[in-house]
Amino acid sequence: MSAIAFARRGGSKLALLAGLWLALVVGLVIAAPAILQPFMATTVLQFSTILALVSLGQTMVVLGGGAGIDLSLGGNVSLTSVLAMALVRAGGPAALLPLFCIGIGALLGGVNGFLVTRIRLLPLIATLATLFIYGGLAVALTGGLSISGVPPWLTPLGRGSVSGVPIHFLVIALPTFALGALILTQTAWGRWIYAMGHNERSARLVGVDVDGVRLTLYAVSGLLAGLAALVSLAWFGSARPNIGQNLELDSLAAILLGGVSISGGAGGVGGVLAAVLLIETLKTGLQFVNINSIWQVGIVGALLIVVLLADHLPNRRTS
Amino acid sequence: MSTSSTSDLARAVKRGFRSVIGGRELTLLAACLGAAVIFTLLSRNFLTVANLTVVARNCVELLLVGLGMTLVITMGGIDISLGMTVGIAAIAIGNLLTAGFDPLLAAIAGPLVGGALGLVTASVIVLGRIPAIVGTLGLLGVYRAAIYLMLGGQWISGLSPELGQLLNGRIAWIFPVNFAVIAGAYAAAFLMLRRMPFGLHLLAIGAAEEKARLSGVKVRRTRFLAYVMSGFLAGLAASFYVGTYRNVEMTIGGTLVLDAVAASVLGGTSILGGRASLSGTILGVVLIRLLQNGFTLIGVPSLWQSVVTGILLILVLSLENVDLLRGSRTREIAV
Repeated sequence: MSAIAFARRGGSKLALLAGLWLALVVGLVIAAPAILQPFMATTVLQFSTILALVSLGQTMVVLGGGAGIDLSLGGNVSLTSVLAMALVRAGGPAALLPLFCIGIGALLGGVNGFLVTRIRLLPLIATLATLFIYGGLAVALTGGLSISGVPPWLTPLGRGSVSGVPIHFLVIALPTFALGALILTQTAWGRWIYAMGHNERSARLVGVDVDGVRLTLYAVSGLLAGLAALVSLAWFGSARPNIGQNLELDSLAAILLGGVSISGGAGGVGGVLAAVLLIETLKTGLQFVNINSIWQVGIVGALLIVVLLADHLPNRRTS
Repeated sequence: MSTSSTSDLARAVKRGFRSVIGGRELTLLAACLGAAVIFTLLSRNFLTVANLTVVARNCVELLLVGLGMTLVITMGGIDISLGMTVGIAAIAIGNLLTAGFDPLLAAIAGPLVGGALGLVTASVIVLGRIPAIVGTLGLLGVYRAAIYLMLGGQWISGLSPELGQLLNGRIAWIFPVNFAVIAGAYAAAFLMLRRMPFGLHLLAIGAAEEKARLSGVKVRRTRFLAYVMSGFLAGLAASFYVGTYRNVEMTIGGTLVLDAVAASVLGGTSILGGRASLSGTILGVVLIRLLQNGFTLIGVPSLWQSVVTGILLILVLSLENVDLLRGSRTREIAV
């Protein structure tokens, strides 16, 4: 695996995504000229943060190979926001809400990592089961009702913006992506992730602690889901037990669209962020031209299939 | 090399289908009985003819979807859009009934619509060479939107009871139709996995796809057919669903997929493919439905059902793997 080939492929992928995005925007503007307003960009970014964070986690897990996938991310976001708020309502210090979110999210992700690396369950089955456990718990514990009472000092994080850019996108999404890119490309740990995703056996032979790294990857993915939960709390002012619904589908669509190979070892975070923006632009645009939100699920699903159909040739190693 | 790998494969295929009752099946049976004893002690309403009939009734759809899922998993695939297949087929049946078509025709339309959707799934995954989990996840989204579009947020309800009378009735006043259909489907699958080339090919592909290809198995055709078949079975399940409940709601088929995967895997069908147990799937279905019924009777809200199934799945698989790991610490996860 040559880094140059990666970069080249990543570059063309970014160009393709940019092209798609432009075509989409032009199409939307033609369909509804009123869409061309600065606040639309803010809206897109406002919706992007949660998907971006979750997709970054999904990227990490998938990159690490071993049939890695985290289907439970949506359930994790729901359950983390519910549990964190429940802790605060039960008398926990509200100042610690961000820490609660991060801690619970990482813990739930760590459970996945434990099941995958220590119990040796297939990631697909382990995280499918935890998706139903986490998502089910979030609904069952609350009876499907929101938990309100998010401290008011948190709401600027969720609703404020600086010259049109939502604060959470600026202070959470962008830095985590920068950090993710830095770790993946500049550190030994990042090299290990690519190495074990590319060829697990060789990675073991050269001494990479594959299980240790993988366990950490699932925990990090959960931590990012916890951050997404925090953003949702700050944004909506309450914990919604179904906030994470469909995030597993959306995040998979985003990372595959962004050029991450489903079998691991190839892809980067830049493409993923671009894909997230593309998906959210599409969704926001559809909403603007008054297409029911249930359609978004269908369109993201179709997008996922179309991208894979168009893209399966470079990723033949799977099947 | 090719001869030795061919005979290896033949042996794997032969071992892969457990036609007799083995340790796993006995464990499940014991779990069913244990759960039954506990629920009998905790609730007076559990061990009654009426309640056990309800449990048996609730097993019908899951037995059919679980069989389809077992066939797909046997060859190393998965179809997590099957629940939505049930939903779309149910809508088709409901619309036919509303339009005044003959209930028999509606009952037959279910599996046909399911088979057609299976054809779509098969095309996407097999012809499009997309990993099954991602492809069917995408289809799940598409189908969910399609269901919304077709129902428009409203239930189809108040359907005539004729379909139910037909499908839950009795042949010659003795033999329940639903039981006969399920027994027939399982018997056919049993013969297939035991004797027929198609079933043996499913096992061979699941055990070692590349070796199967080298041994002359038409891998793509077999995989294609398996997805069509599981869609057909899901459509059949839809006929029974509409016949019994006489309505079609937005959330139809929602948790059916996890239950079906759980039943197959609990029953001893390997998620990696190559190993199947039909009696295991049946016992897995019964255990899941028994637990759901029992928990409801002792006052656990139905919202907890998916939590219980998820935990059960992880628990059983973990126990199995902890046993395996005691033997060798270095087993790698196969992709």
